[in-house]
Amino acid sequence: MDIRTTMESLKIPATGRTPEVDFDFAQGVLRLSGESYPDDVATFFGPIFAALRAFLAEAGGHPIRFDMELLYFNSSSAKALMNIFQMLETAAGDGRSISVTWCYEENDESMQELGEDFAEDLEHVAFTLKQIPADGAS
Amino acid sequence: MDSIMLAQQYAGIKRDLDEKGIIFSFSGYLSEGILYSLGEALREKMTLEETDGPTVRRVFAVFVEQMQNIIRYSAEKVTGAREKPVELSAGMVTIGMEGGKVFIVCGNTVYNADVPRLRDRLEYLKGLDKDAIKTYYREQLRETPEEGARGANIGLIEIARRASEPIEYDFLDLDDGKSFFCLKARI
Repeated sequence: MDIRTTMESLKIPATGRTPEVDFDFAQGVLRLSGESYPDDVATFFGPIFAALRAFLAEAGGHPIRFDMELLYFNSSSAKALMNIFQMLETAAGDGRSISVTWCYEENDESMQELGEDFAEDLEHVAFTLKQIPADGAS
Repeated sequence: MDSIMLAQQYAGIKRDLDEKGIIFSFSGYLSEGILYSLGEALREKMTLEETDGPTVRRVFAVFVEQMQNIIRYSAEKVTGAREKPVELSAGMVTIGMEGGKVFIVCGNTVYNADVPRLRDRLEYLKGLDKDAIKTYYREQLRETPEEGARGANIGLIEIARRASEPIEYDFLDLDDGKSFFCLKARI
């Protein structure tokens, strides 16, 4: 896996089973896009958790924008996403400004409902559901 | 002579599968690589047949969870390590059409000791309506996984949630301390 990480960013290109990770820490803009059903969830998400934890630990810091643009994720990935949301909620509770946009393709009611599931106990994170056009590639 | 019998024999098997509405069926040792390849083939086939996007996504989601259940929980598996650890789990996965709906059946052996707990979980899930399944999923999403669990313990809930009818399941005692477990979901 080709992971490029510096103090300013964490970039992991997408594979058939794992999403693209584009965390621009310097700008405070984080993005997960594509599909997630890795053969080993812990191995894939481990470095992501570590980088995010280190970034969130910085005092003060920029407001954070997190764009979730996943078209599909399996149940093991759902747990990993929950972990990410809990980290964001804790940081937001400590006063950091954090907004999350959960994108789902039109007609994808399942992904819309999953967004609602994740938003349910976010109090401090500003959460938005956003419909995007279907790309036709299912 | 032999080749005629061979063709006859397998034509019979194929006819049986066709009559049951089976689109494809895989039996043998499964791995994450096979999951990926079969999953792509399944999506391509449904897309070519102009199955609507949400159905393709639901079928694919159920397929992934069922395959990963076999890979993780089959009582029949071989493991080894060459350059990287390899794990192959025996089982079968069958996808077909029945009454205008897609169905997915997975089958694998489980230890008899694990049957009561699995049966309880499935029976509980089977009795829940759509809203209750959604609530249960939300609760379990927030639970930390059980000790030693490799999955998130929400795979079965995910299957029940994406299915359009209550899930069906069954166990067959194999007399060797194991049972054959089947789970059927209709989408």
